[in-house]
Amino acid sequence: MRVPLSWLREFVPVPEDPAALIDRLAMLGFGHEPVEWVGEEAVLDLEVASNRPDLLSVLGVAREVAAAWEREVTPPVFTLRRSTSRAGAAAAVAVEDPDGCPRYTAHVITGVRVGTSPDWMVRRLEASGIRSINNVVDVTNYVMLEQGQPLHAFDLDRLAGARIVVRRARPGERVVTLDGVDRALDPEMLVIADAERAVAVAGVMGGADTEIGASTSRVLLEAAAFHGPQARRTARRLGLRTESSARFERSLDPRGVLDAAHRAAALIAEVAGGQTLAGAIDVYPHPAPPTVITLRLPRIARVLGLEVPEDAVAAILRRLGCRVTRRGRRLTVTVPAGRVDLQREEDLIEEVARHHGYDRIPEAMPVEAIQAGRAAPVLEAEAFGRDVLIRGGLDEAVTLSLISPDILDRLGVAADDTARRLVQLQNPLLADHTHLRSMILPGLLDAVRVNLSHRVEPVHLFEIGRVFHAAAGGVRPEVEERRALGIAMHGRLARGWNLPAEASDVTFFHLKGLLEELTAELRVGISVEAAAVPWLHPGRSARLLADGAEIGMFGELHPAAAERFDLTGRVHVAEINLEALLRRATLARRFEPLPRYPSVDRDLAVFVPAEMPQAEVRRVIRQAGGPLLEMVDLFDVYTGPQAPAGQCSLAYALQFRAPDRTLTAEEADAALSRIHDALRSTLGATPRA
Amino acid sequence: MQDEIARLRQEAEHDVVVAETAGALEEVRRIYLGRRGRLAVLFDRLPQLPESERRAAGQALNEVRAQIEERFRRRAAVVAGRDRSAQLEQERLDVTLPGWHRHLGRRHILSRTVEEVQEIFIRMGFDLVDGSEVETDECNFEHLNIPRDHPARDTMDTFYISDELLLRTHTTVVDARIMRERRPPMRVLAAGRCYRRDVVDATHMPVFHQVDGFMVGEGITFADLKGVLLAFARQMFGQEARLRFEPDYFPFTEPSAQVAVWFNDTWLELGGCGMFHPRVLEMAGIDPERYTAFAFGGFGDRVVMARYGIPDIRLFWENDLRLLRQF
Repeated sequence: MRVPLSWLREFVPVPEDPAALIDRLAMLGFGHEPVEWVGEEAVLDLEVASNRPDLLSVLGVAREVAAAWEREVTPPVFTLRRSTSRAGAAAAVAVEDPDGCPRYTAHVITGVRVGTSPDWMVRRLEASGIRSINNVVDVTNYVMLEQGQPLHAFDLDRLAGARIVVRRARPGERVVTLDGVDRALDPEMLVIADAERAVAVAGVMGGADTEIGASTSRVLLEAAAFHGPQARRTARRLGLRTESSARFERSLDPRGVLDAAHRAAALIAEVAGGQTLAGAIDVYPHPAPPTVITLRLPRIARVLGLEVPEDAVAAILRRLGCRVTRRGRRLTVTVPAGRVDLQREEDLIEEVARHHGYDRIPEAMPVEAIQAGRAAPVLEAEAFGRDVLIRGGLDEAVTLSLISPDILDRLGVAADDTARRLVQLQNPLLADHTHLRSMILPGLLDAVRVNLSHRVEPVHLFEIGRVFHAAAGGVRPEVEERRALGIAMHGRLARGWNLPAEASDVTFFHLKGLLEELTAELRVGISVEAAAVPWLHPGRSARLLADGAEIGMFGELHPAAAERFDLTGRVHVAEINLEALLRRATLARRFEPLPRYPSVDRDLAVFVPAEMPQAEVRRVIRQAGGPLLEMVDLFDVYTGPQAPAGQCSLAYALQFRAPDRTLTAEEADAALSRIHDALRSTLGATPRA
Repeated sequence: MQDEIARLRQEAEHDVVVAETAGALEEVRRIYLGRRGRLAVLFDRLPQLPESERRAAGQALNEVRAQIEERFRRRAAVVAGRDRSAQLEQERLDVTLPGWHRHLGRRHILSRTVEEVQEIFIRMGFDLVDGSEVETDECNFEHLNIPRDHPARDTMDTFYISDELLLRTHTTVVDARIMRERRPPMRVLAAGRCYRRDVVDATHMPVFHQVDGFMVGEGITFADLKGVLLAFARQMFGQEARLRFEPDYFPFTEPSAQVAVWFNDTWLELGGCGMFHPRVLEMAGIDPERYTAFAFGGFGDRVVMARYGIPDIRLFWENDLRLLRQF
C-alpha cells in the first residue's frame, strides 16, 4: 500500500523524521521499504497482511499510526447536500445473490459535469500509483484509497431500465470490461447487471458500455460489500486482479460501505458539480452485528510468556478503536468496523503483542520433560547412504524435480518403462517444467554437461531425491512418491602428472564396486545380472537385485544417449530405487570376534566356457567350499592365446579358516579338491595347470 | 704354518677393507671363508702337521676365522649401509612436484547447511520426521486454517496435480500431519523441498528448501519461541547473533512474526514463526485451552545464501563444481 505522507498527515500527526516513522511502522509489521519520493510527495510503501483490508487505506494506516503514537485520528470532514427528489425513484437495485453480496448501496447524482480533476487529487492518485481518468472516476478511486472501500460509478442513463441486478453470470454471457477486453463469464462469477445484461464484474472491474464519459450527466454510484472468497474466485477465473478485487477478496466489513459512499458523493459534488438525490438505495438484508470478544487477561501471559499490565492491554485496544469493558480478569472487547481480522481471543492477544512490542517479549527456554531428539529411521538411513557415497568420492548434486517429458526421450527411455508414467502438473509455470521427474539420472546428466562445458573434469555426481510416478489405474491421478539415487561419473578417478589414463579412468567395475560398497555398508545383500536397458551400452548394462527384486539399473551410458546430452567420452550411470534399498538397510552394528586361528590360503585357477557368468563360478566355489571357505577373491581374468579356444581362465585366491582351531593344510586341500570336483561336474570347468 | 696363518689374516683383513661393494665383499668371503677358500685349505692341512704343532695351529686358525668373520660382518654392514644410501640417493624425488589426487566427495552446500540446521534443533530435543512432497490440498491448506479462496493462498501460488493433490508449498504441512498422529508434548522438525509457482529470479525458484519445526506442550509461549530460535541462531551464526521479531500474518499462527538475524552487518530474514492458531490445534484434535504451541518455518535456501554470501539462488541448482568445491 502506497501512502502519500501528506495525505496521512491530514488525519493524524506523523513524526517529522521519515526514518523514525518507518522503524516504528516496521515494528508493527509494515515492512522496511524506505520512503519514496514522487515529485514533492514523500510516499510510504507499506506491506499489508492479507487479513487487513482496513490497512489498504490512508485512514486505516492513520488509525495504526494514532495507536502507535497515542494520538487521535481526525476523519475527513465533509457535508453531503441532498436534493429533495429520491434516489429510489430514479433507479432500482435487486440483489439476487445475497451470499455473494451482503450489502449493495447506490447513490444517484444528477447534473454532473465530467471533466478533469483538480491538481491536488491527480497528484495524490499518481503518488499512490493510480492514473487519473476523469473527475468522477477519480473520486471513486480517491475515496477507495482514503477509506479502503472500492466504489464504482455507472452512467445511469446507459443502465437499461435504470436498474441494477446483482446476480451470477449466465452461461455464455460476456462483458467488455473497462480495459477494453471482451470477457467470457460463467455462473461461478458474480456480476452487476442492468435489466438486460451484465454491465460489470462485481468487485473486480466495471464495463465499458456504462462507463462515465464526457456526456455523462447522471451517475449511479455503487458502494457494496462482496463476499471475499466469491470476489477472489471471480477475479481468479478471469485472471484479472485490480485494486478493487484486492480489497474485496480480503472480506471488507459491510458496515463501512455507507460512510465511504457519502464521502464520495460529497466529493463528486465538490469536483464535478451535481446533486445527490435523497435516500440512497441500501440493500442490506442482514446487518452484521459488531464482533464482541472476551479476552481473559491471564491468557495473554500464557500465550506470550510476558505479563502485560492490565491497564496497558485495555489502553492498546482502546487506541485501536475497540470498546473495552472490564469485569474481573476478563475484558469484553467490541471490535470497531473495518477490523475484520479480529475474531477471537488470540487475535486480540496479537494486537496487544504488536503494539506492546514483540521486542519486549523475553527469551525463555521451554522446560518440559526434555528428551533427546532423533531422526526418523528412514532419514538416518538416507543420511548414512549419502555419507557412503561421499566417502566413495562422489559429489552431491541438487537438481530440479520439475522436468519436461522430452528429457526421457533424450535419455532414450522405452515407451513402456514405468519412468514414462509421469505425473503432470495442472498449472505449470514454464514450458520445460510441466511434469515431476520420474528418474534422477537425466537431471544429473545435464549437470555433467554444464561442468564439462566449463572444462571442469572429472565430474562424479550423485543425487538423492524424490521421484514420482503416476500410479497405474484408478480414476484419480494417484501419485507414487519415493526416494531415488542417481549416479553419473565421467572422467578419471584420480588425477596427477604422468598418471596413465587407462589406469585411472572410471570403468563399469568402479561403478559396480561403489554400489557394492554402498549396499555392503547398508548390510543389504545384492546380486547383479546382465540387463537390456535401452539407455545403457548393450554389453555393459546391469540390473541390481535385492531379495530377487529389481532395485536399480546401472552401467555405461549408451553412446547415443550420451550424444543427445552433448556428452563426449564414456559416462557411467546408475538409477537406484533408494526407497527399496533403505527399506532393507540395517544400520545397527555389533562386534564380531576377530579370527583367532591362522588361515590357510590356496589359489584356484580354472578354465570355464567364455560366456559363463563369473557369478556362477563363484556360487559353485562358495557352495562346495563349505563353512571353512572364508574368502573368495577373484584376482585374474584371462582370455587369449594361452587359453583354449572359447575358454576363459579365472584365478581366485581362497582363504580357509576354522573358527575354533588351526586348520591343517590337508583339510584345506580336501576342500579345494571338492571345489575342483564341483566346478568340473556342474560347470565343466577344467583346472589350469 | 703359523706364518701362513698370519699372512692370510693380514691379506684377508686388507681385502675385506678394500671391498667397496656387496658383490666384492661376497667375492672376498668366498676366497677366504668359502668351502674351498684359503682358510678351508689351511684347515685341511692340519692333519698333516706334526702332533706338537697341530693343536696350536688349529687354535690359531679358529681365532683367525673368527676374526675374519668379525671383520667381514663389520665391513658388510658398512657396505650395505653405503649401498642403501646409494640406492636411496638414486630414488630421490622432486618433492615440489604436485601431488596426485584421489577425488574427494563433497556434500552439496545446500543439503549440508540444511542438515546443520536440523542437527541444531535435534540437539534441542526436536525429532526429525519424514514427509512427502506431493500433498493434499486438505493438509497443505485446510488443516492450516487456509480455506479455499483465502487470500493467503496468493502468497503461496500452488502447483496442482489434481483438484485434491498438489506440491506442498511449505513444510508446515508436515506439522499438520504429525500433530494429528502424535499426542503432546512434542517437538518436531521437518525439512525438504517445497514448490511455489514463483517466477525465477535471483531469490526465487519454483523449487526451494524449508525447515519447519514446532513444539506443543502445556505452557509453551511466544517467549519460548524466541528463546529456541535465539539458541539456534547463536549456534548457526555465532554467539553474537541477534534476532528481530516483527509482526507478520500467517493464517495458521496467531500471533505471527517474521524473524530476521543480524549477520554480516545486515538483517537477514530467516522465516516466519508464531504461536499455532487455536483453530489449527483444534483441527488436529489438540485442546488449545490446555496446550499451546509455537511453530517456525523457512530457514532454508536463504540461510545458506546469507551465511556464505551466495548472491543468486539459481547457483544452487547448476551444480557447477567450481562453486560446490568452494565449501
